[in-house]
Order: sequence, then C-alpha cells, then structure tokens
Amino acid sequence: MTFSSLGKPVGISGIVKTYGALRALDDVTLNVGAGEFCSLLGASGSGKTTLLKVIAGFEPVDAGHLKVGERDIGKVPVSKRNIGMVFQNYALFPHMSVFDNVAFGLETRQTPRSELRERVGEALAMVGLTGYEERLPKQLSGGQQQRVALARALVIRPDILLMDEPLGALDKNLKQSIQLQLKALHRQVGITVIYVTHDQEEALNLSDRIVVMDAGRVIQTGTPQDLYFKPTNRFVAGFLGDCNFFSREDGSSHAVRPEHLKVGSLAQDCENRLQATVTDVIFIGTGLRLVMSIGDETVMAIADMRQQSEIPSAGSKISIGYRTEDTLPLASAQ
Amino acid sequence: MTTTVARKSAAPALGLLPLGLLLLVFFIWPVVTLLGLSFGQDGFTLEHYRHLVDVPVYRAVLVNTFTISAMVTALCVLLSYPLAYLMATVSPRVLRLLLLAVVLPFWTSALVRTTAWIVILQRNGVLNEILVGSSLLSQPLPFVYNLSGVLIGMTHVLMPFVVLPLFAAFRSVDRSVVQAAESLGAGPVRIFFKILLPLTAPGVLAGATIVFMNSIGYYITPSLMGGPGQTMIAQMIDFNISKQLNWGLASALAVVLLVSTLIVFFLFQKVFGLDRLMAPGGSGRAGESFAGKAKQRSMGGRATVVAGILVAVFLILPILFVFPMSLGASPFLRFPPEEYSLTWYRNFFSNAKWLTALLNSLKVAAIAVTLSIAFGTAAAIALNRVDSRFRKAIETYFLLPMIIPTIIVGVGLFYFLAPFGLIGGALGLGLGHAVLASPYVFLTVRAAVQGFDTNLEQAAVGLGASWPMMFRRVMLPAIAPGIAAGAVFAFITSFDDVVLAIFLTNVRSRTLPKLMYEGVAHEIDPTIIAASGLIILLTVFTLGLNMILTRRSQ
Repeated sequence: MTFSSLGKPVGISGIVKTYGALRALDDVTLNVGAGEFCSLLGASGSGKTTLLKVIAGFEPVDAGHLKVGERDIGKVPVSKRNIGMVFQNYALFPHMSVFDNVAFGLETRQTPRSELRERVGEALAMVGLTGYEERLPKQLSGGQQQRVALARALVIRPDILLMDEPLGALDKNLKQSIQLQLKALHRQVGITVIYVTHDQEEALNLSDRIVVMDAGRVIQTGTPQDLYFKPTNRFVAGFLGDCNFFSREDGSSHAVRPEHLKVGSLAQDCENRLQATVTDVIFIGTGLRLVMSIGDETVMAIADMRQQSEIPSAGSKISIGYRTEDTLPLASAQ
Repeated sequence: MTTTVARKSAAPALGLLPLGLLLLVFFIWPVVTLLGLSFGQDGFTLEHYRHLVDVPVYRAVLVNTFTISAMVTALCVLLSYPLAYLMATVSPRVLRLLLLAVVLPFWTSALVRTTAWIVILQRNGVLNEILVGSSLLSQPLPFVYNLSGVLIGMTHVLMPFVVLPLFAAFRSVDRSVVQAAESLGAGPVRIFFKILLPLTAPGVLAGATIVFMNSIGYYITPSLMGGPGQTMIAQMIDFNISKQLNWGLASALAVVLLVSTLIVFFLFQKVFGLDRLMAPGGSGRAGESFAGKAKQRSMGGRATVVAGILVAVFLILPILFVFPMSLGASPFLRFPPEEYSLTWYRNFFSNAKWLTALLNSLKVAAIAVTLSIAFGTAAAIALNRVDSRFRKAIETYFLLPMIIPTIIVGVGLFYFLAPFGLIGGALGLGLGHAVLASPYVFLTVRAAVQGFDTNLEQAAVGLGASWPMMFRRVMLPAIAPGIAAGAVFAFITSFDDVVLAIFLTNVRSRTLPKLMYEGVAHEIDPTIIAASGLIILLTVFTLGLNMILTRRSQ
C-alpha cells in the first residue's frame, strides 16, 4: 500500500507556552509511538489545542523540545515540517476544486504532473470521493468536506497527522460512521495521529492512547482501558464516564462506576453497603438509571431491569452496595 | 417584510413622489435634454460625433481619458494591497490609527487635497525644496502640471474606494485556510498568489470598478494638476461650453462619457450586484480572521508592512501639511513655517470676498440638506410599502445621481436652469446639490428603516396610535441616527462640490470651493491654505458630531 508505514514517533519534552501571565502549556512532556493514534482529551482551555498548534508550528514556544522521528523540528518553519493537519472547520480553499485542494501540497513539493495526478486520485479513492474532483468545497456536504481535508493532509505523506476536533461540526450519526471509517483508515495507513477532542466517547472509540489534559498540564496518559479502570485521580475518573466517589475514615478515597453499584436485594452480596434515598428513576433503554442521595452526596447506579426483582420508586429508601474488587483507588483527592 | 396590516393602515407610497419628481425635473430631464443636443438642435445629425472621430485632438482626449483612468485604477489597486494587508494584521489600536489615515482624507474635500498636493509638489514646492536642499537633486523636478501630477492627485482621491473593500476582504479570509496552506508546504509568496490574491480579488474588482467609473468623469484634479497633454473628457466638455459655446460637441462628449460609465456600471452590476457598490465588504464568513503576528512575519511580510505604512503616510500627508502651513506668518508657503501666526485666518475672516463665499456655501448647503433629508427620508420609508417587485427598479432610479458623472449633471442643469433665471442664485445650486446628496440620505435612512422592527409599528397602531403619531413617537426616534448620518453626508457633498458651482454660480454667488478653485487655478495664496484648514476642521467636526450621535443612540 502506498500510504503504509508512514508513521514516525513524536517526542515532546518540557514544552512551556505562556500568553502573558497565563501558562497555556505548563511543562508538557509526552511521547507518542510510531503509528499510534493518540488523543489529547480535555475541556476547553485545557491546552490541548495549543499543544497541537505548537506541534504544527503555528505557535512559538517559550521552552522545550519537539522531535518527529530523529529530527528536531523546534526551529523548522511550518511549511517545512512535513506535517499533515486537518482543521476543525476543514479550512478547504474555497476557490479551488476538490482536485486542486488535494493537489496543493504536492504542487508546493514540485511533484511531477503525472505522479501528482496519480497520487491525488489514490488519495481521493481512499476517502471514497472518486468522481468529485471538479466540485467546489461549497458543493459538498460537511462529511465530504471533512474527507477532502483528510485526503489533502494525507496525500503529502506527512510524518504525522494532526487533527483538531475534526468531527465537531458533524451530527451524531455521521460522527459515529466517520469514526469507524477513520479507525479503519488509520489501521490501513499506519500513520501517527495526534487528535484533539473534548468528547470522551470519541476518544475512547478511536484512540490507542489518551492524554488527559487540564490547565496546561498532562494529568494522565494511558490506553482507554487504563484510564477507565485505573484513573490516577478524581479528575480523570470523572472526566471519562460517570463515577461515584466514596471516602474512607483514613482520608483515602475511591471511585465506583455506576454499573458496578448494586441496588436492593443485589446489594446483599457486596462487602460495602450503604443506605440511600431514591430521588429519580430514569429509563435509558439498556437499563434504569437510578439517581440517589446519601446525605448531601448524589450517587448514580445503572441497573439491569431483568436482574432487578423490584423497581424502586422515587422517594423510597433503598440499600446499595459494591464489591471491593470493583473499586477504583484514587491517588489523591484532587 | 411589510405586512398587509401596515400597508392598509398607513399612507400609501406617496412618499416616493417628492424625490421622484425632484430627480425627474432637476436630473433626468436636464441630462436627457443635454444628450439630445448631441444629435443637433434643429434636425437630426451625427456631425458632432463625426467631429469627435475625425479631429485628432478629440481622439487624443478620449485615449487620454481611458489611459489615465486605467493607470489610476492600477495604481489604486497596487498601493491598496500593502495597506489593506497591514490593516488586517495589526492590533485594534493601530488599526484605528490606520483607518483614520484612510477615512479622514476620504471625507476631506477633493479640492483641499488637490490644493495641498500642488503646494507639496510644485516646482518651488515643499518636496522639491527638501530634495534640492538635501542635495539629493541638483535641480527641482516637475512633479505637477504633467502626468505624474494627475496620477498622484487622482490616486490619492480615489484610493479609499479600493482600500476599504480590500480591507474587508482580507478580514474575511479565514485564518485556518492560510495555516492549512502553510502546513502543506506553501511559503509566503505562494500563499499570496494562490490563496490571498484569489480570495481578495472580488473585493478589489468591486473597488477598482468604482475607481474607474469615477476616473473617466473626473474634472477638478486633472484640470488643476495636469498639463495640456493630460486633458480628459470632462475638461473638454467644459471647454466646449465655456470657451467655444459649442453645445453640440460638448453633449456628444457627454454621451461618450455617460455611455462608457454606464457600460462599466452594468458590467459591475452583472458581476457583483448593486448591493456591493453601496456596502463593499467581504463574504462575511464567520470564523477567526486571518491575522499574522508581527513577530512571525516573513521577509516579504515585513517589506509589505513597510510599504503599507508608506501608503498610509501618502494618504494622510496632504492633511498633515495643510495645517502647519496655514499657520505660517510669511506670504510664501513654507513647510515647516519659520514663524507661526493666525495672519491668514484673520485675513480670511476680514475679507468680504471670502466671507461672502463662505456664507453662500452655507446657504446652498442649507437648501440641499433640507431638501435631500425631507425627500430622501420620505422615499426611504415609503419604499417598504411598495410591492417588492418594483423595489429594485425604484432603488436604482434613486441611486442614479451617484453613477452619472457630476460634470454631465452640471452642464445639463446649466442648460436647463438658465432660461428660468436660476443661474447665479443659491436656489439653483441648492437644487443641484440636493440631487447629488439625495442618494446618500436615501441609503442611510433606508438602512435604518430596514433595521426598524415592523412589529413596533404594528404594536403602536394596535394600541390606537394614528400613523403620524406612530411615526413621531416610535419610528422617528428609531431611525433618527440614520437621518443624522444622511444629513452629514448631504452637508459634505454640498459643501465640497466644485463642479456644479462652476456652472451654476457667478462672481456674486460663488461658493467657497469655487472661489478656492479659481485661486488655485491662478495662483495659490496663503488665504487659500487657511480656507483649506477651515474646511478640514469643519469636516472633522461634522464627522465627530456624527460619531458621537451614533454612539449615543446605541
């Protein structure tokens, strides 16, 4: 395959970026393996987009080093970095046809005309847009524009591919189908991807590795399973999926996922048991979501309707419990 | 837009009539009559047109007109690019400064600016003095009364028409599009030619069309700053009427000028639509605006910044020169003056000639502003009550005075008004200025009316208000800023006009700009510079007042 084994590893160390008094990136260190799909996950203002712009070269840094493969790109201008980028709003050239958009990066590299035509054709075939060469961007749907942007970024055979919330503008159904295509494409091309998103579900679906960021710092790095089952702190646990937090007398705390919180008669087998008051019962298709209160704290449980002998009603007292093996120990009570 | 309720309960489209009739009698009829003269006064003939083609002088004038217009247009575009780029990439504070450098000269009388340029560029002028004084030149160079004078003067007067839409176009270029090109390996040169140039081309073309349309009918600047070799159509029309009394030939020239203007105008309308002429701007696309940061500018970018600053200086230069010079004490114009005094301002206010002219100007402006405000406002409000199918045509009709070259209106009115004895009074010129100013009033008030919530009108009428009461209590307060802005435009249009004044006033009724024009054409004395200073002050004051009024209403 023409596109295979493009991936190069990325080494980011000690990056600091300030805007006046604000530390947008605060000593960020991160290594991404060759061919890895790595997501930068965080709320807006967490520094994830700034980090992406730093890698692309749009933002100069105050300190730190950037390596792609063996090459230090800290001083290399954007146009010489050989990095593919897919923008949030796609940033297609509005006055150029699909063909010219995809060919642009090859023209800057003075690719011979016949090779250029062949490679543009391949790239468009890869994203399923053969036959759309003469269209203008405004004549395409959002999903098609997104694929043109992808083809345009990949056709130059970049060392790495950067994507800035590329699915943000799409509706939910389209988003899921494109996620699947993107994953298949990544498997086929094998390129190193750094992907910015604030959508935890999207990060879980796509990534080999997720980097959770907050306030310009990397909070935790790991596989989706690592982050889901072994969050190092309350922030990560709460950011990826819903979580109930319990603390012990000794001050340490742990988290329990709603699907592991047992309710009513099922709670009797658990080592840890508590009394709660049901405040709301919501049918969510795959089961029931029970919202309960213990004093001032709110806890949540997902109950399987078929296993549940009785369905509790709002206002009733109920016993809840969880197994020790289902708890997620948290490093600090941040 | 307009509901049937509003249409039934309110006065019908009668409001269109006053402006419609004013234009019909004092604009359409005189112009059509004038054009008719080109085919002979008694019996049809093409003799005048044949004359245009056969006589080499006229052929040369036609060639001149189009060549100079094309050169001015090209210069405007070329100079606008670095300035517009600079404006689009600086901080808001610097931008305000640059906008001032573009807008202030834009609103300052073209005659004042032309006068200032002559003072700067003439043989014993400021520029030559500096160049010879610093021994960069051994002899003064002739910058004015030749092609370079015409090009400098006209480019200066017309450039804002390109800078402003181009600035808007630059601003609407999405930053990520430029970043995408960069990440694909494009350097600054490729980004400019492949991305920025195509994306800003529509804005530039719109501005360039306006410049070209204005250039071919231009009168004041070429006649004051050019030599015999730069004679353009408008001057030839005047020459044939004032000196040769050859109305047939003058009107044949007017037809050529008018037809050329209309061809350019309709091409423009075909490509961009009429709206573009009124509100030049970019595609209005949302998103983060393209804006390079100063520290990241490439070599070319830095060179462009320097060029942009030079162009901004070029634009504001005449205004910067006029003031200090008007405060000089000696009867010779020097920059900077050796001694400061108010001598020439005192001279202005103690000389009956100048005071009468100022008074005449204000009288004429009062007539023009009153008429154009009353008629323009009525028309703008009434247009919404007209069936939407006819609106476009009516709108075009009301805007025609912006498109037809002023020289044609002036000559037409002269021919039309003379038999009624209206030449030489304030009324004739006031009517002419009302014609020129009404499109501006119509446009600003129309914009205000379109921003007015028709539900308010219905609510007031529903609460039992009669239409006049609704208008006074609800609508008028809402559209007042639009009317005020229209009044400012109308005042400036009237107060700055020279061309109509040349044809419609005499020694006793001449206005301030006409008196200045006569002086500049003969010899510039320092009182003229003082008058220029006064006009600039008045312009700044009027614009400032308008800004305060609009800000308060927001």
